[in-house]
Amino acid sequence: MCVEHEHKVAETYLDSGLPRVRVSCTVNGESVSRWIDPTMSLLHFLRHELNLLGTKEGCGEGECGACTIILGGKAVNSCLVLAQEAAGSRILTVEGLGQGGRLSVLQEEFIKEDALQCGFCTPGMLMSARALLDRNPEPEEEDIKEAIAGNLCRCTGYYPIIKAIRTASEREREASQR
Amino acid sequence: MDSEFVYLKPPSLSDLLKHLEPWGEQSKVLAGGTDLLVLLRRHSLSPAYVVDLKGIEELQRLEEVEGGDVFLGAGITVNEAAHSGLVQKRYKAVADAANTLASYQLRNRATVVGNICNASPGADLAGPLLVFDAKVQIVSARGKREVLLQDFFAGVKKTILRPQELVYGLILPAVAAGERSLYLKQARIKGHDLGIVGVAARLDSRKKFHLAMSSVAPTPVRLTRLETLLNDSPWSPELPEQAAEAVREEIRPISDVRASAAYRSHMAGVLVKRAIRYLMEEG
Repeated sequence: MCVEHEHKVAETYLDSGLPRVRVSCTVNGESVSRWIDPTMSLLHFLRHELNLLGTKEGCGEGECGACTIILGGKAVNSCLVLAQEAAGSRILTVEGLGQGGRLSVLQEEFIKEDALQCGFCTPGMLMSARALLDRNPEPEEEDIKEAIAGNLCRCTGYYPIIKAIRTASEREREASQR
Repeated sequence: MDSEFVYLKPPSLSDLLKHLEPWGEQSKVLAGGTDLLVLLRRHSLSPAYVVDLKGIEELQRLEEVEGGDVFLGAGITVNEAAHSGLVQKRYKAVADAANTLASYQLRNRATVVGNICNASPGADLAGPLLVFDAKVQIVSARGKREVLLQDFFAGVKKTILRPQELVYGLILPAVAAGERSLYLKQARIKGHDLGIVGVAARLDSRKKFHLAMSSVAPTPVRLTRLETLLNDSPWSPELPEQAAEAVREEIRPISDVRASAAYRSHMAGVLVKRAIRYLMEEG
């Protein structure tokens, strides 16, 4: 994590004041366990408890997809999951895409294709794309559009994003055939 | 989230029902959470308990049961229904609607039964389930009951479900080979959007039409007058157009943020015409 993001998140999180509960799960391959507010969303668990700030909060109501993560192998809006519902699950966030300090193929292609400007939608886009390529390594353009229909982008435009996902799928297929 | 509630995840159906018996009024059942968590966040609801049904294995079934009927449990997600071979083959309109509901991520969490229990006038899955005469299985600590889906809706976002009760699942009655069905949805955009009008249509093996619509009345509705007209008329090339005119007489849509009543009425006719034409050509 870069230095300027190491501080505690400034955005407000309202604690319910109820007795804390223990939630344990596996995030990006690491076992984690925290005593948390029982009403906390999975999104806030990732951001406030684990300080994983890659996953973004946009609308908080499942409309924008900025908070998309992969929970138990499936893309979900983490704002609409309670942290307690994720107890015992395997979670992948944007921080877990790269390996050994190297960006993933998908991330590299997003950069190459100029598939991001402000970057706010990018982590969610990447996670929807990752889930798509995991279930369908050879997606058609329509499959890609369907997979990211729940991820709103307001500045880059969707075409570079679609292209990045397609070229990433080609590169991943080539790599797997080698 | 600043609503105060206790989260419970009972491991069995009897544990869940035992909780609802005294605490039903103060509890909300959590399935996918895609409607409930939004309401909690907006303070539209403030239950003392949120009771997760995902720990109950028997609710996670989607399978053929006796007589060729299909049982769809309360825990089955919209994507599980959309990807099910059983649903795609026998109840295509249901798979069509499942594939157009919200976004892929939401469909991974949202459940079919939750879409029905939320009882939005625009519930995508309601119309298709209505044309297949789906039945709703309801359980409580006191026993079971079963109602037709068309008798389940009581108004905008209202159902006949009592606070002590849980929808256990849906029964989709057996269909004969060679049946055709489809769901057509008009929305502002092709991607993640609520429907302006939704039409579900089915032609059964006796060549009888079954039609239902969403977003044109306080609840999803079966178009009984239109069905009678179609099933009493000889098939002709003019029939789809006649159906379009008839449906505009039968429904009374409202104007809202998504569309005017006039546009809804017009599109209802257009979609009904397309649906009937498709079924006549394919049938």
